[in-house]
Amino acid sequence: MSVTFDSLAPGYRIDGPAFDVSRESIRAFCEASLDFNPLHLDDNYMQGSFGKTNFGGIIMHGMNNFGLITRMLTDWAYPAGAVHRRLETRWVKPVKPGDTIRPHGTLKSKLATEKSRWAVIDVEVRNQRDEVVATGEAMVEFPLGAAK
Amino acid sequence: MSAQAFETDFWKDAKQRKIWDDIVPGEARKTIPYTLTLEAIQKYCRSVGENHPLYFDEDYARTTPYGGLIAPPSIHILLMFACTPTDDWMRSPGTVNAGQSWSYNIPARPGDTISLQARALDKFIKKERLFVIHDNVFFNQRGEVICSGRGWTIRPM
Repeated sequence: MSVTFDSLAPGYRIDGPAFDVSRESIRAFCEASLDFNPLHLDDNYMQGSFGKTNFGGIIMHGMNNFGLITRMLTDWAYPAGAVHRRLETRWVKPVKPGDTIRPHGTLKSKLATEKSRWAVIDVEVRNQRDEVVATGEAMVEFPLGAAK
Repeated sequence: MSAQAFETDFWKDAKQRKIWDDIVPGEARKTIPYTLTLEAIQKYCRSVGENHPLYFDEDYARTTPYGGLIAPPSIHILLMFACTPTDDWMRSPGTVNAGQSWSYNIPARPGDTISLQARALDKFIKKERLFVIHDNVFFNQRGEVICSGRGWTIRPM
């Protein structure tokens, strides 16, 4: 089901699919992203502390959240002829094997510029305890050629 | 570059990498061109559950305004490591990614030769933690900008 720029109003909600995090999913992300930082691989290393933080075991790549948010936005934008143009994110809580995370978006504002139309979307990822693990903001462009 | 050629032991060459004290904001990072294959795109897609036919179904993709298969915007996650050498400080074990922001121009496509221009943009201390901001632009073989972005990293101490 595709949306139109004119039909969008602040508060409009986008839900992405849930993602089950496991040691295997983290390993697959290492292989696919070439990010083999021991934060994501080595339980012994992760028994140590990072400044005041002790993670107690391997954690998921923050950018795995980024990938899930991107997927949510593009799957929403493509059918509308819209284009995912920007994503800014911040990681607020580590994600660990056994967690289930899910991205969400909420339309914050929309704006027509001289040459195009833009939707500004607050995004977040929550875990199975409804804790926010990532927050951010995205911009999706609805080119003038796209359906009104 | 084949997957086999990629050094997955991030401890190797760790001593050659710049630490926070050595990093000069504004100084370019060494980068290497990378040929993006359909296989690498699809492997990345599967790792985050991306299943859109624009990334998997050539016949479908040809019927869209994109005119053929593309990579998802977030492919820069892979490109960041694919386009940098083993002594790049982004690989230092314990580097914590605090957040990133990216702008997208045109999609990367299978077969593209991707190049990266990258530098440290800023470094600072906050709550006794060492931060470096990195600044990156990815180009295709025609010199067109694919995407640009920056990231906030907390450096290992």
